Formats: sequence, structure tokens, C-alpha cells
Amino acid sequence: MMRFPRMLPLCLILSATLPAFAGPVTDDTGRSVDIPDEPERIIVLHEPLLGIPLMDLGVEIIGAYGRGDAGELQSAVDFTTATLGDRAQTTPPHGIGPFGNINIERLRTLEPDLIIGTEYDAAQADLLSAIAPVYLQNTGTGRVRGFEVEADLAGLLRREEVFEARKAPYDTQIGKLRKGVADILPGDSFLAVIVHDQINLVGNTSGMVQALEDLGLVREDIEGSVSNAPGSNFAAPISAETFMQLNPALLVLMNSYMDPEQGEVAVHARLDRIAPGWDRFMMPAREGRILYLDPAQVTSPTVASAEHTLRAVEDWLIAQH
Amino acid sequence: MRLTRALDTRSVLRFEGGLDLRLGNLAAGFGLTLAILGTALWSLTSGDTAIGLSELMSGELNEEQQFALMYVRLPRLLLGVMAGWCLAISGAMLQSLTQNPLADPGLLGLSQGSMITIMILLLYLPSAPPALIPLAGLVGGLILLLVLRLLLRGSVGDGLAILLMGIALDTSLSAITALLVLYTPTEISLAVSTWLAGSLYLSSWSQVSGLLPWAALSLPILLFGAPFLRPLDLGDDRAAAIGLNPARVKPVLLLAAVVLTSMAVSAVGPIVFLGVMAPHLAQFLSAATGRARLILSGLMGGWLVLLADLIVRTGASQTTISLGLALTLLGVPLFIITLRLRALRTLFQS
Repeated sequence: MMRFPRMLPLCLILSATLPAFAGPVTDDTGRSVDIPDEPERIIVLHEPLLGIPLMDLGVEIIGAYGRGDAGELQSAVDFTTATLGDRAQTTPPHGIGPFGNINIERLRTLEPDLIIGTEYDAAQADLLSAIAPVYLQNTGTGRVRGFEVEADLAGLLRREEVFEARKAPYDTQIGKLRKGVADILPGDSFLAVIVHDQINLVGNTSGMVQALEDLGLVREDIEGSVSNAPGSNFAAPISAETFMQLNPALLVLMNSYMDPEQGEVAVHARLDRIAPGWDRFMMPAREGRILYLDPAQVTSPTVASAEHTLRAVEDWLIAQH
Repeated sequence: MRLTRALDTRSVLRFEGGLDLRLGNLAAGFGLTLAILGTALWSLTSGDTAIGLSELMSGELNEEQQFALMYVRLPRLLLGVMAGWCLAISGAMLQSLTQNPLADPGLLGLSQGSMITIMILLLYLPSAPPALIPLAGLVGGLILLLVLRLLLRGSVGDGLAILLMGIALDTSLSAITALLVLYTPTEISLAVSTWLAGSLYLSSWSQVSGLLPWAALSLPILLFGAPFLRPLDLGDDRAAAIGLNPARVKPVLLLAAVVLTSMAVSAVGPIVFLGVMAPHLAQFLSAATGRARLILSGLMGGWLVLLADLIVRTGASQTTISLGLALTLLGVPLFIITLRLRALRTLFQS
């Protein structure tokens, strides 16, 4: 009978030193994962789709795929700074190896207590589970919309209140702009494209789509496009001919994020090469129903990206008046 | 057992049961085995987590070292050696079957057949259990073999016809692969492109145990199938003259080559050129036919993949070097040097 009280201090010490587990949760691929109650050392396997939503919620991440040892970016575009600005974490996350070749040993030295990947990381989930619990979050079009990824991650990390607080000013802004948009547009459809070396329809997983839909707009349905392409995430190509035949109430144009030049002039120059004369044929172009956005700012599934979109819509409405 | 000389004046160990082993082949096999063991030790002691040779030998490893060894380095090493072994043996068999020194699992479209089905699985069922991937690869390889056989009806024993039809299928399937990569979402394209370039970074014990039975399948092939390759090397007519039926034997050996290729491709991706390179490098070390040729080719293939993976793991930390690229950087200069040396040797001998 005396044994239990004697063991109590030991149990208290153990409970203080070991991570407390919130219990098993089921991730988006149906795996059961034991995640810590309050994870403090999170590594993400996709910074724009998972890291930026976490940072938008005020969560610091310690490691991310696509960065060097000291946290320097390996890609040409800094989506994190473009989206979050001053709200991006001051200490950049450490790298975990070059693209296509995660350095498992280096990842382990970062001592993560939670690894978050996308549904496309299912193949490496078992291997990484030997280091820390691996939670797989859906990010693909058809599986999540708008900034649902941020909402889901807020639920996972019990930060629903932070998310709601983050979203409140956005909701207010939506209320202010919704009527203005409805008044000025001849319909309620929108078409969002990003122009690389071809014209691509933008998928549904972004703050931009969330903002446009919350403003009362509906995606223009195009047969054979994003909605029924296999697992399309961000962009699905369409032909220049198809593009020029479309007449959405609002055309959203984005220049390739690989191009340092953004804005109207840059995207017009690129589109002119792919679909010469598009601005003379397409009704939205002739009637000035085009919204120009910076893809680095608006394409993450975050409230921050949705706010960037609303700011652009507000500027556009002012210009229309 | 006695040491004698063969008709070409090379030393041969003759055993009482009728087994003949050329001393040159034995020495080459021994040398390659030593090279594999040495490179394996180098590989096991290289990486972000420091593991000394003495610690490795004594087995006194801390938790971090045990993790690096058991979860990262050892599965990569074993999977790489097995995949290299399988692809090189498959390449050597195909070269004998087609009587063409350029034949390679990739060139005949076998790798592409496996790749396409694996890609379709990854695209349409991204959450499918990883255990399905080898099965998809095998199904793809077998479908390709079936198509090849249907297209070659009437000329299945014709090595040149097999090669030309294989190239045609490979080219068509490459176009489909490019189309799939181009029109899939960036995230999937990146993952698929990584796998297409060959990779061992996802190696695990389950993959090792998955490939092991198929790599072991090469042993009965070596025992029972390899002796048929020697007469087939001489050409179908001569093989038929000494009592072999090429039209019956070739499809069976082709099936074995397909299975070995498909399983290796499923594990590490399509490693191009290894099937051509390894048998030729092995042949340069010691001219061999039949079983000895397959064994030396397999050892050479395993060693090359092991060395290439060492480059991938310990190379520049910020730059992606795929297994295929490392193998090309390592193997092609070796290949060119051996071809030049062989040409010079022939010149001096004449």
C-alpha cells in the first residue's frame, strides 16, 4: 500500500519531462496519430501550404522542406514573407535536406515533436514516424477549399480561438465589400488564372478563392478543368483558345510567381505571347473587369492571403468608381 | 579439384562434379565482393551522424547512432545493392536474349511499363498503401511483356525484332510518362520526377523485405536459367543446332528479366543505363559467359549503386543529386575508359 505514494514524485517528474499526448487523432489519410498536447517543435514538409498557415496562427515552426541548413530559401520565391510580411517568424525554419531527398538524420537532430505533411507525403509517413508523430493534412483541390487548411490546423493544435480572432477583421471587410462587388459586376462568376509558359486555371485551395467566394462569386465551371482533373492542387493548364472564349464576370489574372515582375504590364506581356489579341476579344478585358493579383501573396491557404485579395478588390472597386 | 588451362589458354579450376570455374572470374568476383564490403563500411560510417569504424565494429552505439544506422544507412545500403544486382542481371540476360550488347531493361520498355502503372497508382490513389507499388510495377512490366509478345507473334525468337519493338514501346511510353508529369499538379510532379530520377531516400526495412524474395529469385535464375544464355549468346541458329529451342526458352528468361526489373524499379525508380553499363564493366574485369557473367554483372551493379548512393548522401547538402545522376557521373566515365582500354587491348593483341 505504501508503494503508490512513494512512486508519486517519480510520476510527477516523468509527467513534467515527457511530452503530454492529447490522444490519438485521425489524420486526413485515415491514419491514427498520437500528437502531443502542445507541440513546440513542429516540422512541415510543405512550407507554403502548411508552414504559412501555421505561422499565420502564430505557431513557430523549426524546420521546413525547401530551405538550407541556416534557413535560407532554396526556391526563387519567398511565399512566406510575401504573404505574412512582418508577421513571418523572425528566425527562419531550418532546412531538412534538398528537394526530393529529405535528410532523415538531419531532420532527427532538430528533435521535432510533430511532423506535418500533405496527403502527398503518405509514402514517407511511416519512415518519418520513427522520429516523431506524422500528421498528414489534405491540401489538394477537391479535398479542401479556401483557407480550410488553416482552420483544420487550428483545430489540430487547439488554436480555434486564435483562428477566429484572426478571421474576425476579414469577415468585417467581406461585409463591407460584398455589396460593392455585386453592384459593379454584371454576373457572379469568376475565373482565376496564373500564366506561366501556358495559361493555368488556379485550384480551390487558396485564400484568394476563399475571399472571392465569400464576396458572393462562383467559380466559372469549365469542362475538363480543375474540378475534374486528377488531384489537381494549384494549377491546371487550359488552351489559349478555350481561355479566349470565356466570359466570366470577373477575370483574375496572376503572372507566374517565378517572374520578378508582377502586375498588369507583366501579365499582359506574358499573355500576349501565348494568346495574341486576347485583350481585344475577351469581354472582361474590354470592359475592365480584371483583377490583378500577386500569386506569392494570395495563393497560400491562409486568412492572410484572403486579406491580400480583399485589399486588391478594394483598390479595384475604388478605381472603378 | 585441379587447375588446368581452357582452350583459350586461360586458367580454369575443374571440380569433380563437372563444375568449371575460371580463375579470372573467381578473382573478379572476389575483388567485387571486397569492393562492396569496403564501400558498405564507408557508407555506414558516413553521414550527418558521426559513427566511427571502431564504434560500428564494437556495436557500442548511442541512440542517435543506432537510428542513423538502422533506419537510414543499412536499409539504403541493402536496398541499393539488391536493386543494382537485379537490374544488372536483368540487363545481362537481355543482352544475351537479344544478342545485342546495347539491350537494357530501359531500352526494351520494361522499366517504362512498370513506371507507368506505378505513376497511375500514385496519381489516382495517392493514399494507396506503399505495399501496392511493387505490385503495380510488376503488373506494368508483365503487361508490357504481354504486349511485346503479341506484337512479336511469329518472331519471338528474333533478338533484333525484340529490341526494335522494345525501343518503339519505350518511346511511346516515355511520351505518356512526360504527359503525366507535365499535366499533374506540381506537388505530384515533383514527387514523381524525384522517383523517375531514381532514389533510395525512402528505403525502409519493409522495402528491403519486399525486394528480398525477388532478389532471391535471381538465384534459381542463376542456377537453372543462366546455362541457357551461353548457347543463346552464339545466336538462335547455333543454339538450335545444339538442341536448344530459342522460341521456348527466350520467353521464360524474358519473363524472369521482367520480374527482376519491375521489382527493382518499384523499389528505387528506373535507373537508366545500369543494365548496359554493369555487364560491360564486369566483362572488362573478366570475360565470362553464362552464370559467371550474371554473377559478375550483378556484383558490379550492386557496387555501382552503392557508390552512387554514397555520393547522393554525402554530396552537397543543398543540391539535389538523384541516384540516376550520381550513377551517370560515376559510371559513364568508367564505362568510357573501359571501352577505350578494351579497344587498345584488342589493338595490341592484333
